[in-house]
Order: sequence, then C-alpha cells, then structure tokens
Amino acid sequence: MTASLFRIWAIALNTFREAARIKVLYAIVVVVVAVNLLAIALGEMSVSQHSRVARDFGIAGISLFGSLTAIFVGIVLLYGEIQKRTIYSIISKPLARWEFVVGKYLGMVLVLTALVGAFAIAMTAVLAYQGVAVSGAVAKALVLAWFEVLTVAAIAVFFSSFSSPFLSGTFALALWAIGRVTPDLRAAIASSESTWIKWVAKGALVIVPDLHVFSISGGDVDGQHVSVNGGFVDWGYVAAAAAHGALWIAALLVLACAIFRKRDFV
Amino acid sequence: MDVITVTDLAKTYRTPFRRRRVDALKGVSFSVARGEVFGFLGPNGAGKTTTIRCLMGLCGITGGKAEILGAPVPSRAARQRMGFLPEQPYFYDYLTVSELLDLGGRLAGMTAADRRARADQLIVRVGLDHARGLALKKFSKGMLQRAGLALALINDPELVVLDEPMSGLDPIGRKEVRDLILEERDAGKTVFFSSHILSDVESLCDRVAICVGGKIRDIGRPRDLVDATTTETEVRLALADDIDAEVVAALAARGARSRRTAGELLLTVAGGVDVDAVLAAAHAAGGKVIAVTPRHETLEDLFLRRVADQAGAREVLR
Ligand SMILES: Nc1ncnc2c1ncn2[C@@H]1O[C@H](COP(=O)(O)OP(=O)(O)OP(=O)(O)O)[C@@H](O)[C@H]1O
Ligand SMILES: [Mg+2]
Repeated sequence: MTASLFRIWAIALNTFREAARIKVLYAIVVVVVAVNLLAIALGEMSVSQHSRVARDFGIAGISLFGSLTAIFVGIVLLYGEIQKRTIYSIISKPLARWEFVVGKYLGMVLVLTALVGAFAIAMTAVLAYQGVAVSGAVAKALVLAWFEVLTVAAIAVFFSSFSSPFLSGTFALALWAIGRVTPDLRAAIASSESTWIKWVAKGALVIVPDLHVFSISGGDVDGQHVSVNGGFVDWGYVAAAAAHGALWIAALLVLACAIFRKRDFV
Repeated sequence: MDVITVTDLAKTYRTPFRRRRVDALKGVSFSVARGEVFGFLGPNGAGKTTTIRCLMGLCGITGGKAEILGAPVPSRAARQRMGFLPEQPYFYDYLTVSELLDLGGRLAGMTAADRRARADQLIVRVGLDHARGLALKKFSKGMLQRAGLALALINDPELVVLDEPMSGLDPIGRKEVRDLILEERDAGKTVFFSSHILSDVESLCDRVAICVGGKIRDIGRPRDLVDATTTETEVRLALADDIDAEVVAALAARGARSRRTAGELLLTVAGGVDVDAVLAAAHAAGGKVIAVTPRHETLEDLFLRRVADQAGAREVLR
C-alpha cells in the first residue's frame, strides 16, 4: 500500500517537473494577469462598480483559463506517453498501470493547483490595489473554480486514455461547454414541446458532469440570486460541490484505468 | 532453471477498427536459462520487438504462454527483478539523466541513498558523465541509447532484456555495450537481447534463436548451428610484376574463383581440393604466400540462408 503510494507519488512528481518546464504554462499565467489588469482598467471606467468588475473578471478568468489549460495538458497526458514511447521504459518498471494513470492525474492536480494559486494571488493583488478586501465569497468562489478545473482535467485525462489529442480535445471541450449550461438543459426539459429534445437533454444531464455547480456567481441557487459581490452560497454548498466534483473525478479515473489496463502499447 | 519460457506464443495486431490483421507471431517457442547470454536474431519485421513487447507486458498476447522469472506475463513481481531497454528509447524531454534514473529507482522501490549511489555509478559506466547537466531532449540517438541502458540496470536486475542495444552506437559504444553484457553475465545475470549485428551476437552469445516471419527457425549454440567444416580456403599470393601471364592463368585455374589486383592474386579454393598442392604450385611459379584463410559457414551465412528460404517460400505460395 505505502509502496504503491510511493510509486504514484514518483509519477506525479515527475509529471509536475516536466510540466513546470513547459514555457506555454507561464505564458498562460501572464495572460491571466493581463486579464486582471484589464479588469482594473474597465473597473476604473465604471466608477462605482470597479470592485464588482474586478471580482467577476478574476473568477471567470480563473475558471476559463484554468479549464482550458486542464484540457490542453490533459488530452496529451496519457496519449502522448504512448506516442512518444516514453511509456515503454516506465511501464516495464514494477508499476501497475492504474498507478501510472492515477500518478499522472495527480501530477496534473499539482500543476493546476499551482496555476490556480498563481491566478488567485494575481487576483488578490489586483483587489488589494483597488482597496477591496478579499471577502469570504471570493475565497469560496476560488475553491469552486479550483474544483471545476480539476474535474475538467479528469474529463480530458479520461479521453486521453483511448483517443488522440485532437479527438480528446474535441470531446472534452464539448463536455465542458455542455457541462456549464446545465440550467439551460433543465429549462429545455421543462419547456420544450419536442420529446426528442427532452430526451437528448435528459441524456446529456446523465453523462455530462454538471460544471455549472462550480460557477454560480450571477445565477440562481435554490431560487436565490447569488453573487460574489453580494449574498453568496455558504461553505456547506462549497463542500457539496467539491464532493460532486470528487465523485466525477473518481468515476472518470476508474474508467480511464480500466481502459488503460487493456491497451496494447505499440 | 529457466528465466524466460515462451510456449507457442502468438500475437495478432489489429488496426483500431478491426479492418486489418497482422499475424506478427505465429507460435514462437524458446526458453532462456539462468546465467545465459541469449541472442534473438531475425530480419526486419520478423517479430523480435513484438516478442519482447509481449514479454514486458506492453501488449497482450493472442495465444500461447509466456513466463518470466517463474510468473506468467504480465507480472509486477517479475518486473521488480528485471530491466528493459526498448527499441529506439525516448524519455521525458526536460529531465536530466540523473533525474530519469532517480525516477526509475523510485519506481523500483529503492531508497534515496541507493538510488543516488547506483545512478552515479551507472552514469559513468555508460559514458554519460559529461552530459549530466543536459536535458534528455538534447541527447543524440546514441546518448539516449546509453541513458536507456542505465535506466534498465538501475535496480541491479537479475534479467536484462535489451531490444537492439547496439543500434545507434559508435564503434566505441558498441564495444562498451559488449563489455557491459559480459560483465552482467560474469555477475551471474541473464541477458536476452535482439540484434542485427551478427558478429557481435556470434562472439557474445551462449545461445541464439533465429526468428523469421513470426516463427523460430533455429535455436542453439552459435557453433552448433553453423556448419563447422571448411567450405573453402582463401589463398592470397604476392606475384612478381614481370610474371608470365600464362603462369598466372594456370595458377588462377586452380581456384574456384580468382581475382587479380596490382601485384597480388586472390584465389578461392573449393573445399576438398588439396590446398598444399596449390601452395606448392604458387611457390614454383615464384609467388609468395601472404595469407591462407580457411572459411567456415558463419552465423551470417546461416542467417542469409534462412531469410532466402523464407523469400523462396513466399514465391512458391504466390
Ligand atoms: N503496431 C503494429 N500494428 C500492426 N502491425 C505491427 C505493429 N507493430 C509491428 N507490426 C508488424 O508485426 C511484424 C513484426 O514486427 P516487429 O516490430 O516485431 O519486427 P522486428 O523483428 O522487431 O523488426 P526490426 O528488426 O525492424 O526491429 C511486422 O510485420 C510489423 O509490420
Ligand atoms: Mg524490432
């Protein structure tokens, strides 16, 4: 058991080390900081609202760029190892295939956590510059965005266990887009005349992870309007959403491991 | 005790949508004993890499049985005691060779102190001491091959499986790998490797198997496989510049083949012909004997014959 964790950790650490030397990731951090600076500029224009704009932009930026990074790193995570033949020397070591998959995902968790952390620091700095305190609502929104990014990463890794980066990317982006508009799907089920549309929407709700639960600011939760700038959800909601994400991550990884176990590495 | 036992191993590759099948292995059987250096030969596409992939658990087997260190493949316990160098190895771009070996050591469950000591020793042993600080991405083909060898040996394995360990190496590198294989054998380890370099195989291996078209054609000790009787003898003579053309022609006629170069005559005398008589005649004509080389069948001749058999069989089938 501990030996297994030791091996998983070795793979995770290695994945992080490799990713930490990918220069594009730093470019993404720069872009996010630029978005935050843009937020300041826009906030200055709408005099009374600058803290609101900065918060909304900050959180949305983390969720958007974090998810896109998760997809672009995740879709090559397993497939790339086979294509570049790096997996041969690794999998011939005394390492179970599921340990490899879990280790790779964990390495990505480290990378994405560092990234979200960097985004959060940039955003806090912007808020501090504007003299706006980091409220509990912002902390909750950050945790939610972090879990959204980790869930999206699991989606990408799942596809990467059996298909090419191009297909994985297409599927993952589609799931991500659908997962974020689950309220619209529910509305379609409630209001649509066509049974066909109802069934498609119902099917989508079953197979697509609900990502909307992570980005609720500006929308309704249980009929109540919530916003990082005003009344926001409580920590109980955050815990429930995190558990929802963790379950999806576990399920996707179990599937990825099962598929990966059967694969021929040629 | 056998370290590798392969019985009737079959492997069929299928393209993703099952449109095309390739029968890469059609019933391969052999076994490798503890302490042996075993060479695995065959032309391109014979199924060497496929056999090794099956043994390493990189791909599933379609039929038959394969056991390594007493356990059916794929076995994690067996991999604990084994090292593997893949064909044309490639590693993580941004790691250094020390980091790569550290990862290998961690996966093999070695302690930090062991990993460091063993890695330091191996880096020197495979001749990468000068490249310690360099990212693997910047390694040449031969350097990658050396890094792969070190990675295969990191856990001091009982069994080393190498897929074309000499490919991409310069003459010095090839000699180093030969020495390394012999060192492993002297330490009581078993080495199984595939190769195209027949002279290396002939001089290194206790036993060899020749695989052609997904089947084993020959297996045994190199000198038992080839015909040891002298097939022909090469006689090299130095002749005076002003020698009579007729005398040269008479000498040349004694060989099955002959070739005249400046000041020299190379005679290939068929087996069964009295070589002494040829030498006496040369002497009488005022020639000087430079070299007499009896030729036996080599592994290369056998190899070429097996491949020709296969090509012939294909012609007949067509
Ligand atoms: N991934 C694959 N999909 C389909 N066929 C394959 C695949 N890999 C190998 N083959 C086929 O299997 C056969 C054996 O290939 P293999 O790579 O084992 O040969 P080899 O003996 O290692 O050759 P080489 O000396 O060139 O390395 C070949 O006919 C090859 O075309
Ligand atoms: Mg090969």
